[in-house]
Amino acid sequence: MSKKRKHVQHIEQPKSHSRADMLHYQAMLRGEFQVEKKFNRKRFAIIALVVMALLAALLIFANLRLDYTEQANIDAERFIAENGDKALEDLNNTSSVWMLCRVIGIAGMILWGLFSLIQLLQPKRRKPNRSFWGDLGIYIMLTLVAVAMVFPLVFSVASSLKPLDELFRFPPKVFPDHPTFDNFSDLIVTMSQSWVPFSRYLINTVLITALGTFGHVFIASMAAFVLAKYDFPGGRTFFSIVVTALMFSGYVTGIPNYVIMSRLGMIDTYWAILLPAFAAPIGLFLMKQFMEGLPTALIEAAHLDGAGEMRIFWSIIMPNVKPAWLTIIILSVQSLWNTSAATVIYSEEKKTLVYALQQIQLGGVARTGQAAAVTVVVMLVPITLFILSQSRMLETMASSGLKD
Amino acid sequence: MQSTMQKYFSLKRENFRYGLQKAKKMKMCYLFLAPYAILFITFFILPIVTSIYYSFTYYNILEPARFIGVQNYINLILQDEVFLTAVKNTFVIAVITGPIGYILSFLFAWFINELPRWLRTIAVVVFYAPSIAGNAYYIFSIIFRGDAYGYLNSFLMQFGLINAPILWLLDPRYILPVIIIVTLWMSMGTGFLSCVAGLQGVDRSLYEAGYVDGIRNRWQELYYITLPAMKPMLLFSAVMSITTAFNVCDVPRALAGYPSTDYAARTIVTHLFDYGFSRFEMGYASAIATVLFVVMILCNKVIQSALRKVGT
Repeated sequence: MSKKRKHVQHIEQPKSHSRADMLHYQAMLRGEFQVEKKFNRKRFAIIALVVMALLAALLIFANLRLDYTEQANIDAERFIAENGDKALEDLNNTSSVWMLCRVIGIAGMILWGLFSLIQLLQPKRRKPNRSFWGDLGIYIMLTLVAVAMVFPLVFSVASSLKPLDELFRFPPKVFPDHPTFDNFSDLIVTMSQSWVPFSRYLINTVLITALGTFGHVFIASMAAFVLAKYDFPGGRTFFSIVVTALMFSGYVTGIPNYVIMSRLGMIDTYWAILLPAFAAPIGLFLMKQFMEGLPTALIEAAHLDGAGEMRIFWSIIMPNVKPAWLTIIILSVQSLWNTSAATVIYSEEKKTLVYALQQIQLGGVARTGQAAAVTVVVMLVPITLFILSQSRMLETMASSGLKD
Repeated sequence: MQSTMQKYFSLKRENFRYGLQKAKKMKMCYLFLAPYAILFITFFILPIVTSIYYSFTYYNILEPARFIGVQNYINLILQDEVFLTAVKNTFVIAVITGPIGYILSFLFAWFINELPRWLRTIAVVVFYAPSIAGNAYYIFSIIFRGDAYGYLNSFLMQFGLINAPILWLLDPRYILPVIIIVTLWMSMGTGFLSCVAGLQGVDRSLYEAGYVDGIRNRWQELYYITLPAMKPMLLFSAVMSITTAFNVCDVPRALAGYPSTDYAARTIVTHLFDYGFSRFEMGYASAIATVLFVVMILCNKVIQSALRKVGT
């Protein structure tokens, strides 16, 4: 009892006799807002047990011996038993990489367990309205789903590092025993043998991505600026149409777009990719929502100082919306990088990198390794860009809401 | 009656004149808007209009379009059994992946909101990466491969759950669930980011006030404080998830083949592809596109009006 009393804080008198303040005061008296709490040994023991059980399950799972006695068919049993022996052998002389992966996995689990322990056991950091069991459940669920989400990506990286014999082994393994970069060098060999030099595809994609992104940022910000900061007839209607257009996918508009392109004589030119990309609705939408957060006084002050509209746009608005720029640059780069645009471009020397890579990927069983390498190459660019810019991107997304 | 009409029209005329005056004063606004508006109308509005127009014609690009009335729609609904399969599949996929993907994006955004900053960054990257990973879904064709080398098959066989490999991507019974799983895996896109960002922007003092006013657990807090404060992001996220749920096309084409066994993975968009880019029946394909478009708009309206009621 004496120990308990030590932790009781000084509780201030309520500032006023309003209902909210009195309730708050009562809550303080009941000790519900108390920030310090005693270390709970029971709770610690439970969590430690759970974490230990998880880790033990993981270790058991990693060292699982293969057991095929359930098989009914004797031939199948013999066949699989032979392969099972091979797998056992492989398990015994695991390479250092496989060990490393396992060590990283286990270390990660331990770190995560420690983190949840700290998080759960520190009452200082815990917020009101959060039950302990709820937090525990959420952490476990988050871990499981995060593993499920990341597994295919890790798996595609791992299989791009596998030599040919490991790609087709039974039973298959996630991580390669003898990782090589053979698939990537094979990919380069295949690329160098293509009819159009591969650098051409690369230049096409880089050109399309750079021009498309630049034009999109410029044109969309100009439109977003007037839509956000001026009230003119037709502006709201136009914006609501743009919001509806967020739902148009390339598929729905694909056919009429082709007809329009051919009428405009733009089939088989880069304009067929670039012009629709300039007018992508998502960029305008995000830009406009972000610009609405800027104070109007900024523009009025510039007006008083005698600045023209173009000058206001260029030297006052644009420097202030850099996070939004970056976001729509990223989104635009992602979509342009992934366009294969096979329907509007048919000259081989004008096709994009992703298109060429997908052709390699569709090469069948013999290209399985290279296909995995292609997947890694294609996904590397957008993910890296996102990681580099994610804090800015979230800043913009905070204003992305659709007001009614 | 006469006078009311006159009044109405004079009011309209007055409004129009006022608008015109205002528009003249704001000329520069239109100048700024012009480049975007021209491109947008040409490549986003005009296609929809032409699509609706072509849906009433027989058009195969080589011959000029021939007007045939609503024949395309009649064929679509009464004769095209594959289209009905496609509609059924699309709705199954949309009804499952749309709401679940939407709820998952919000729920996980909410869960990771309370993590410390560095961990939240990692979590955002982990959840968002699948949707931007280009065609990384190809990896599922190895995981779900039909022979014993497929990962799922060999895994299940190791534990003796199945005796023979299952043709995940060729058996009509399994194609749709596989596609739903892959689509769900990719469903945390821009809407998820919007939710994460929106949660960080909710006013902290609201939670304290709520606590004082008698909110006792996290679910009450979610329903009465967080959701109403997040409404704009929820609306945006709903638009995004409707778009992804109805436009499932690349995943079934890449995984289940094109055409798939017994049309089990045929969706409205792959049907559109089939008629538009393989058979060049553009009029018919436009009718499909129009139907899809109308369905999406209706869905959007229903969901938006439902979301407005949350937390009030």
